Amino acid sequence: MARDPKHDILFQPIKIGPKTLRNRFYQVPHCIGAGSDKPGFQAAHRSLKAEGGWAGINTEYCSIHPEADDTHRLSARIWDAGDVRNLRAMTDHIHHYGSLAGVELWYGGSHAPCMESRATPRGPSQYASEFETLTYCKEMDLDDIATVQQYYVDAALRSRDAGFDIVYVYGAHSYLPLQFLSPYYNKRKDKYGGSLENRARFWLETLEKVRRAVGQDCAIATRFAVDTLYGDTGVEVENDGMKFIALADPLVDLWDVDVGDIAEWGEDAGPSRFYQQGHQVPWTRFVKQVAKKPVLGVGRFTDPEKMTEIVTKGIADIIGAARPSISDPWLPKKIEEGRYDDIRVCIGCNVCISRWEIGGPPMICTQNATAGEEYRRGWHPEKFPKRGTEDSILVVGAGPAGSECARVLLERGYTVHLYDTAAKVGGHLNSVVTLPGLGEWGYHRDYRELQINKLVKKNKQSQVALGQKPMTAETALTYGAEKIVIATGSSWNTDGTNCLSHDPIPGADASKADQLTPEQVLEGKKAIGKRVVILNADTYFMAPSLAEKLAVAGHDVTVVTGVHLANYMHFTLEYPNMMRRMHELHIKEIHNAFSSRIETGRLEVYDIFGDGSKRTYRGRGQLPREANKSQRWVEFDSLVLVTGRHSNNSLYTELKARQGEWQKNGVKDVYLIGDAEAPRLIADATFTGHRLAREIEEAKAQLPLPYKREVAVWGTAHMPGGNFELEYKT
Amino acid sequence: MKILVAVKQVAALDEDFAIRDDGRDVDSDFFIRDLNEWDDFSLEEAVKIRESSAEPVEVVVVSVGPDEADESLRKCLAKGADRAIRVWDTCIEYSDSIAIARVLAAVAKREAPNMLFAGVQSSDQSFASTGIAAAALLGWPHAAVVSNLTCTPGANLAVFRRELEGGLLHEVEIQCPAVLTIQLGINTPRYASLRSIKQAAAKPIEVLSLSDLALGAADVGEAGSSSRVRRMYVPDKARAQLIEGDAAQQAARLAQIIHAFKGAAS
Ligand code: SF4
Repeated sequence: MARDPKHDILFQPIKIGPKTLRNRFYQVPHCIGAGSDKPGFQAAHRSLKAEGGWAGINTEYCSIHPEADDTHRLSARIWDAGDVRNLRAMTDHIHHYGSLAGVELWYGGSHAPCMESRATPRGPSQYASEFETLTYCKEMDLDDIATVQQYYVDAALRSRDAGFDIVYVYGAHSYLPLQFLSPYYNKRKDKYGGSLENRARFWLETLEKVRRAVGQDCAIATRFAVDTLYGDTGVEVENDGMKFIALADPLVDLWDVDVGDIAEWGEDAGPSRFYQQGHQVPWTRFVKQVAKKPVLGVGRFTDPEKMTEIVTKGIADIIGAARPSISDPWLPKKIEEGRYDDIRVCIGCNVCISRWEIGGPPMICTQNATAGEEYRRGWHPEKFPKRGTEDSILVVGAGPAGSECARVLLERGYTVHLYDTAAKVGGHLNSVVTLPGLGEWGYHRDYRELQINKLVKKNKQSQVALGQKPMTAETALTYGAEKIVIATGSSWNTDGTNCLSHDPIPGADASKADQLTPEQVLEGKKAIGKRVVILNADTYFMAPSLAEKLAVAGHDVTVVTGVHLANYMHFTLEYPNMMRRMHELHIKEIHNAFSSRIETGRLEVYDIFGDGSKRTYRGRGQLPREANKSQRWVEFDSLVLVTGRHSNNSLYTELKARQGEWQKNGVKDVYLIGDAEAPRLIADATFTGHRLAREIEEAKAQLPLPYKREVAVWGTAHMPGGNFELEYKT
Repeated sequence: MKILVAVKQVAALDEDFAIRDDGRDVDSDFFIRDLNEWDDFSLEEAVKIRESSAEPVEVVVVSVGPDEADESLRKCLAKGADRAIRVWDTCIEYSDSIAIARVLAAVAKREAPNMLFAGVQSSDQSFASTGIAAAALLGWPHAAVVSNLTCTPGANLAVFRRELEGGLLHEVEIQCPAVLTIQLGINTPRYASLRSIKQAAAKPIEVLSLSDLALGAADVGEAGSSSRVRRMYVPDKARAQLIEGDAAQQAARLAQIIHAFKGAAS
């Protein structure tokens, strides 16, 4: 199918300085956990996007010097020839597909804690990072300024040597150039502080120096937060924002613009819970009024209609994307070929980002199970090895894991029967998407549902059997499948079992009229009283989401939480606005507290740290601390138990118990995936389904094959020609 | 008791398609073929009668179509049909629904079932006439758009309900043998297990030619049809455009379009 001609504009090449982007799709710098230390991961992840049609593809933020060391987080680095060698793998592979490779040269100031290098970061003024813990920078004198600017120049030269076509001076997300520009950081009184011209000086000089060094060969880009969203205490777009663009425009070949800062960079990488596609446009639309150079804007653009509108309306010339390119590395190619409904639309959950926030484990994606697995497992997001056997496969459960497993098995040419009691593909996601702000998470289900329906049409022996009776072990055994995949999901505990006591809570019982599990709340069949207490021992979204839902519906909601409420939402950048939402709705939080017993209409609450601080050995059967005497009763009309989950694995255990009957029924193996194996993130459940489908021919396919590791190798020095031996300076 | 279920392998359009050179149909390369949706329900109804019956009931599916139709017949076998018959002869091509009904009536005479079920209509052609035409050719009583059926094998009578305008239900008794066309939603069609799909793959499909049914080339194809497709085409799409600008600009643009439309100079 050909693409709609109205999208042709997205495929027009555009010149940026000495280089030309072949179309308007551009992967802005984003972290993946590869950096310069996992060159294979870096090269594979980025070049797959070049293959998928992205015209420009960048590294993540790339440190120019050990003074910008973000350990524990993982940046790329271009400190030396060793890094140049490693990053070369990325640029070579990108060039192979005719795309441009970019590097985002980064200096963090006090936002870089330098935990590996132990260097001292420098900044425009001395300040303590609002993002890091306990990190101050040294205020730069004029020598420092010249030195750091030279770091940029040297890094730019190394970047050129590494084959990069686009060299950034990175000033968004509150990094060094913006720290000079913003009065929030810059308190200087010399020619680098005070007036806008003075505050802009560092950035402009740096651009000029970098341009002089590599501007003949490379396009010079800058990433600029045109509004830091603090009003006039920071950068405001219609004030310093546009003025700075006018000043710097002659020095750049490409503007990469966004909004926000680093401490709340979820205002840039907006989660779908709070922000829709194009949410930055009200700020970034001003840029083209001043800039004469091409402008690219971001905002989780996944819809070609919206992208076309952005370009035709003159809001931006180029569509920048991080998350949409992770979720679907072949997005441009699918638009080009008119395969619109094959696009794997980013759901905006920010689980990809969570890994960077956690400290740099390899990125994962909820929608795209191959993200981060390109190199180490050799998984291509759009290509699948043909099936290795004639086995037909029964997948029980069409939730995230089961539907992904079925999809990939079908892609591989297997005959698959996907079976579920629900009338719709999606499993628990079908109710999760009814929580406030989570509607877009339904794209995860929609993608699989649509692909499976297409694939089933091609393989007539395959089918999707929905709305069925619960599968029994007997039916599964005699179903006629050689392989059975159990993906029956998990449920919330009805008895209060939790991660703190690892036991039920006396009196907790969701079969009672005044107690509910999250499923029962979402089902909406059980009456809920005015005063609701949510008892929480879960660290992700369920408790705050239910609190929001119930408060909006007019209930008085109190959350009693024994764990850091919504802790994982720090990592997905949803935390700040989630907390604002809870404030707006007057939701009360009793934190560091949990429940010891529950009675009708009330629960006993104790402070987690209510026992004695002194630990002494008091003999057998005696607690080593003074007993906890903080118990008190809290009343409720309805109690929601968000205490923990358990796998729904009875079908699997029954089938295992009847292993002796497998052979005579032609069953070769039975597998357990997703939450049915262990409750986890949707991304990880999806991964287990994908992984099994790729490896199902293996003798023990329940266990993952080893992957190709990228680690430092003893006997090889990082620096070309360097020495790896132990040696001491004596 | 025997129930004959007439089924059709229908064609759905692929995302992209082209019209055949003679301009009378879509090029068959672009078809995705599957069992007609209505036929899933009529087959299920027959199988349910067999399952709830004390006396033996045989469910026979029949389709008029080329080799590819075996795929749909096997699907029916996997879902519980006892036997499958396919009738084909190259001169059947270009038959209209009346000519197809003639073939089905001949099969019904040969099989002598107590009831002939057909779907209300096929999803690709939607004439809704094949089943009824077969009843006329057989001289059997018939009912269309049946949404509920009670039938006791051996009783020679069936009671069915039809939905009428205004929420009325029509309950009717019919003498067998009879032809019923079955509506969607009358039951919940079952899915076939992998085991029954595999077993169906090994079952024979009886293939009959025109001569087996004492029919000739003149009874089918264009010769045996009462209607003929003249052409098949994609109508021109209505064009819409958004007129932007302030009220005056919009009015001016509108006037311009009207002038251009009328052929007047603007
Ligand atoms: S993890 Fe979530 S937000 Fe990130 S790319 Fe994937 S779907 Fe989008």
